[in-house]
Amino acid sequence: MKKTELSQHFDKNLFLPDMKATTKEEALEELLELFVEQNYIKNKKIVLDMLNQRETLGSTGVGNGIAIPHGRTTATGDVLIAFGKNDQGIDFDAIDEKPVKLFFMVIAPPHDEGNVYLPVLGSLVTILNDEEKREQLLGVSTFEELLSIIKGDQEE
Amino acid sequence: MSKDLELLVQLQDLDLMIEEATDVQKLGFSITGVDELKQAREELSEKIPKPLLYRYERLRGKLKRALVPVKNDICLGCFLRQPTSLGKQGREGSEIFTCENCGRMLYWLD
Repeated sequence: MKKTELSQHFDKNLFLPDMKATTKEEALEELLELFVEQNYIKNKKIVLDMLNQRETLGSTGVGNGIAIPHGRTTATGDVLIAFGKNDQGIDFDAIDEKPVKLFFMVIAPPHDEGNVYLPVLGSLVTILNDEEKREQLLGVSTFEELLSIIKGDQEE
Repeated sequence: MSKDLELLVQLQDLDLMIEEATDVQKLGFSITGVDELKQAREELSEKIPKPLLYRYERLRGKLKRALVPVKNDICLGCFLRQPTSLGKQGREGSEIFTCENCGRMLYWLD
């Protein structure tokens, strides 16, 4: 997936560099609330249930202070990514048991045009495997900085 | 939205998660709870009226996605515009409508 394609799935209204959550449940709800506020999702309960079920399947805390909660739901029409940052770190049952500071919540419809959902997830994982990029993301305070890091890390 | 439609949305969300678990695992995510999700799926399906569940399963077998969102009156299964009159009733959620073109059940987002 090209850098421009991945960056199109971010939204400046789905950007929260100062998350208040202190638990995994609060983190999921706080990020999901961004989608609700922007009317990308009207039924919060259904999507929250889906995200919690996804955590039952296995924690989306992928290690190195990163979580990528994700899932398809019939309750949305777009593939969108919300970014959140919590400087204190949250216990997210991550695979390496380290607290999570960077969150990328990916929500997708059941049937997305172009089948971009899995490539979007794959591209995020690739970017976040880069230690230098993770360090840069920890210092992000504006949406433009976030996009710059995301775009700069992708191969055309 | 009717309770039955809400249950169908939850059921499909679970089915999609189970269906794509292997793909997601290949990307590097830890997948350990497929059996728990299958159990949750069974319990959820028992709450859905049998004729509706049968209709869902039949469509799923034929079209992969039995239920699709409608956004701006566009069916996101086949991307065909739905009649405005249908949208009015569909948004009320008292009845489950199907797309006249692709036959999928419809869930209005707006």
